[in-house]
Amino acid sequence: MTEAGDGAIVRQVLDGDTEAFGILVERYRIEFGRVAEAMLGDRDAAEDVLQESFISAYRSLGRCRDPERFKSWAFRIVTNRCRDLLRKRPAISIDLVEVPAKEAADMPAEDSELAAQLERAMSRLTPEQREVFVMKEVEGRSYEEMAELLDLKIDALRMRVMRAKTVLRKAMT
Amino acid sequence: MSDDDKLQRASDAMRAKLKGPDASFTGRVMDQVRKEPRPVRVPRGIEIPRWSIPLAAAAAVVLYFAGARFGSSASSTSSTSSTSSTSSLLVASPRPDTVYVRFELAAPGARQVKLAGDFSGWQPTVPLEKNDNGKWVATVPVAVGVHRYQFVVDDAWLPDPATGGVDDGFGGRNSVVVVGPKGVVRS
Repeated sequence: MTEAGDGAIVRQVLDGDTEAFGILVERYRIEFGRVAEAMLGDRDAAEDVLQESFISAYRSLGRCRDPERFKSWAFRIVTNRCRDLLRKRPAISIDLVEVPAKEAADMPAEDSELAAQLERAMSRLTPEQREVFVMKEVEGRSYEEMAELLDLKIDALRMRVMRAKTVLRKAMT
Repeated sequence: MSDDDKLQRASDAMRAKLKGPDASFTGRVMDQVRKEPRPVRVPRGIEIPRWSIPLAAAAAVVLYFAGARFGSSASSTSSTSSTSSTSSLLVASPRPDTVYVRFELAAPGARQVKLAGDFSGWQPTVPLEKNDNGKWVATVPVAVGVHRYQFVVDDAWLPDPATGGVDDGFGGRNSVVVVGPKGVVRS
C-alpha cells in the first residue's frame, strides 16, 4: 500500500476530514521541528512555534495554492515564524547554549563545547542567514531542495550561506 | 583544526543534538485543530473574481471616524448612528487605543462579503453589509498599529483591490492598513 501524497491529504482535509491533518503533522513534525530547534536554539520555543505553525497552516489550508507542495508551503510558515521570533528576541540564543545534561553526556566534551560555541556564534547571524546555514550545514540539505522549500534562487542561497559561514568562522576563532 | 573543519565539526555536533518534538506532539496539535472552524476552500484562479475587476478602483479602506475612540468624549453622534448596523457584530471589547475603521468593497454581484484579518484571528467573522450603492461596508474597531486583512467574497479570499498588499507567507497577498491614534495613516 502506498502512502497518500500531501495533495490528496490536503484535499481530504478540505473535504471535511479534519483527522487527516494529523497525517501531515506526523509526517513533518521531526523534520520541521529540527530546523526550528536549530534556528531558535531552544527546543521549547521551537515546539511552540511548530505547534502555532501547524494550526496556522490548518486555518489557511484553503489558501494553499498547490496542495501537492504542502510541504514547502508549510515549511515557509514555520521558518517565517522562526524569523519573526528571532527579530523580536534577538538575544534568544544567548540563554540557550546549554546542551541538556543527558545529551551532553552522550557527546564528547569537545563536540559539546563546539556545538555550544556554534550556537553562541549563530546569534551574530541575521534570521535569514541562520535559516540557510541551518538548512545547508546542519541539516545537510542540497541547494536544490532549499530553493524549492524557500522559493529562492540557488545563487542567492549560496551567497547567503557563504556570508553566514564567514561570520561564524570569525565569531568562533 | 582549520576554521572550516571546526565549523563542520560544530555543525555535526549541533545536528546530533536536534531531536524535534516527541510523538505526543501530533496529538496536542490535533486537540487544537479540532477546536478550529473548518478551513475555507479557496478555489484556484479566482483570487480576484471577474466582477470585481472593473470595480477595483472603487474599492477602498478608508478612515471613517478619525480620532473617534471608544469611551472617549470624541465619539460623535454620527459615529453612533453609522456604526449601529454593525455594532452587534463586534465581539471584541473596545479599548482606549482602538479606532473605528470603515472597510468598503464595491461588489454588487456578491452574495456575501466578510472581513478577515489579524484583528479577527484571520477568521472571516466580520460580515460586511450591502448598501444601496452595491458597496459592502463594515465599521470595525481596530487597535492602533499595523494590520493585515483580506475580504472573503462568496468564500473566495480577496486582497483589497485598492491597496498594494504584502506577501502573506502562503503564496498570496494581504492588504495592509496602518492605524494611528487619530485614524488610518496608510492603507
